[in-house]
Amino acid sequence: MLVIRRRAGESVLIGDRIEVEVIELASGRVKLGFHAPMDVPILRKELKLTLEQNRVASLGVSGESIARLVEHLRQRRSDEPPAGRE
Amino acid sequence: MPVLRTRSFGTLDFEEASAFFFPRGLPGFEEERRFLPIEAPQSHPLLFLQSTARPELCFITLPVLAVDRRYRLALEADDRAVLGLAEGQAEIGRDVLCLAIVTIPPGGEPTANLLAPLVVSLSSRVALQAVQHDSGYSHCQPIPAGETSEASC
Repeated sequence: MLVIRRRAGESVLIGDRIEVEVIELASGRVKLGFHAPMDVPILRKELKLTLEQNRVASLGVSGESIARLVEHLRQRRSDEPPAGRE
Repeated sequence: MPVLRTRSFGTLDFEEASAFFFPRGLPGFEEERRFLPIEAPQSHPLLFLQSTARPELCFITLPVLAVDRRYRLALEADDRAVLGLAEGQAEIGRDVLCLAIVTIPPGGEPTANLLAPLVVSLSSRVALQAVQHDSGYSHCQPIPAGETSEASC
């Protein structure tokens, strides 16, 4: 991973079409400005993770996998006593 | 009553008014607007969200509280506006249903996306997927075993 330090107002160039500018640094957050052509998608990472996760989640799963999950959810937790015994 | 063809549940009659309406779709599925919630005693507490437009598209979800009892939902102003909720009006179970999409990878353990729950207004059925950017929650949280009694959504 390339690590570069920048102050507010300074920029980083990626390839010859993208510029990332540090606009403001304040209270544990950085405000970044992006200059890039419209065909370059720019997303916060969590959104990309969600998008990919949605795609995997949307693929069909077997009835068996679902039954296993339901079974797992219905198991008594190990720290709880079985019903009917003191 | 309209009829819905689905891959997993056969052909269903359904009430339009029961469907959840996602004005912005979901990330990766921006064109999808309506999902019918389906639950069955044999698969409780899972709630299936069946697309009304695509028979093969169906998400498996769990109430977030069934995955993490202490889940805290923090909606951004933008999301509250879409859902028509005032500040302080986003209590799980009272104002909104809060569901995590479940992924069951082939040969792997099932996980729930707590990073970006589905939030549904209980009064209007308008819904969205709210990415909780600063929360530290995982998009692939392992699902704990355990009785999920009547976990409210």
